[in-house]
Amino acid sequence: MGDRVLAADIELLPASTLRDVVDVLVQLIEAAGALIIFAGAVIAFVRFLRTGVGMQRSAREFATIRLSLGRFLVLGLEFQLAGDVLRTAISPSFEEIGQLAAIATIRTALNYFLSREIARERAEIEDPTVPQVAPP
Amino acid sequence: MTDLLNMASLLVTAAAVIAATVVLATTRLLALALPVFLEFVTAAGLIRLAAEPTWMSLLMAASIVAVRRFIVAGLRVHT
Repeated sequence: MGDRVLAADIELLPASTLRDVVDVLVQLIEAAGALIIFAGAVIAFVRFLRTGVGMQRSAREFATIRLSLGRFLVLGLEFQLAGDVLRTAISPSFEEIGQLAAIATIRTALNYFLSREIARERAEIEDPTVPQVAPP
Repeated sequence: MTDLLNMASLLVTAAAVIAATVVLATTRLLALALPVFLEFVTAAGLIRLAAEPTWMSLLMAASIVAVRRFIVAGLRVHT
C-alpha cells in the first residue's frame, strides 16, 4: 500500500520536472535581486545628482544617500542568497556545487560587511556631534 | 537575460564614475567620493554575478569586495 503511494508520488513529480521548476524559480529570484540592486543604484544616482546641483550639499547628505544604496545592496543580496540556497537542490556536479559555494561565500561576506557598515554609519549620521562639511 | 544584466552592470559602472565625480567636485573629499564609487562598482559586480556565475566573474566580484573592504578600512584609519 505504502509502496503504491510512493510510486504514485514519483510519477506525479519526476526529477526532471522538479529540476525545471526550481531552475525557473532560481532565475526569477536572482533576477529580482539584480533588479533591486539596479533600482537602488538608479535611485541613488539620481539623488547624488540632485544633491550635487542643489543647495543642501553636505557630507552628511551624501553619506545618507550612500547608506540607502547600501540598504538596496543588502536587500538584493538577500534575494540572491535565497536563489543560491534553492539552487543547491538541483546542482548535479561538484563543479557546480563548488561554484555555488564560492558565490554564496562572497555574497554572505559582503552582506555581513555591508550590514556592519550601515549600522556604524547610521550611528555616525545620527550623532549630532559629527561636523558637516559646508559646500565650497 | 545575460545581455540585459551585463548592460545594467555597465550602466551602474558608468553611474559610479559620474556620482563619485559629483561628490568629489562638490565636497572635495576623496574619503567621501571613493566609498561612493566603490558602492556603485560593488552593485555592478553583483549584477554581473547574477548574469553569468563563471569563475572569472566570481573572481572579479571577490576582488571588488576585497578591495572595497581594504580601502574602506584604510579610509577609516586616516579620517
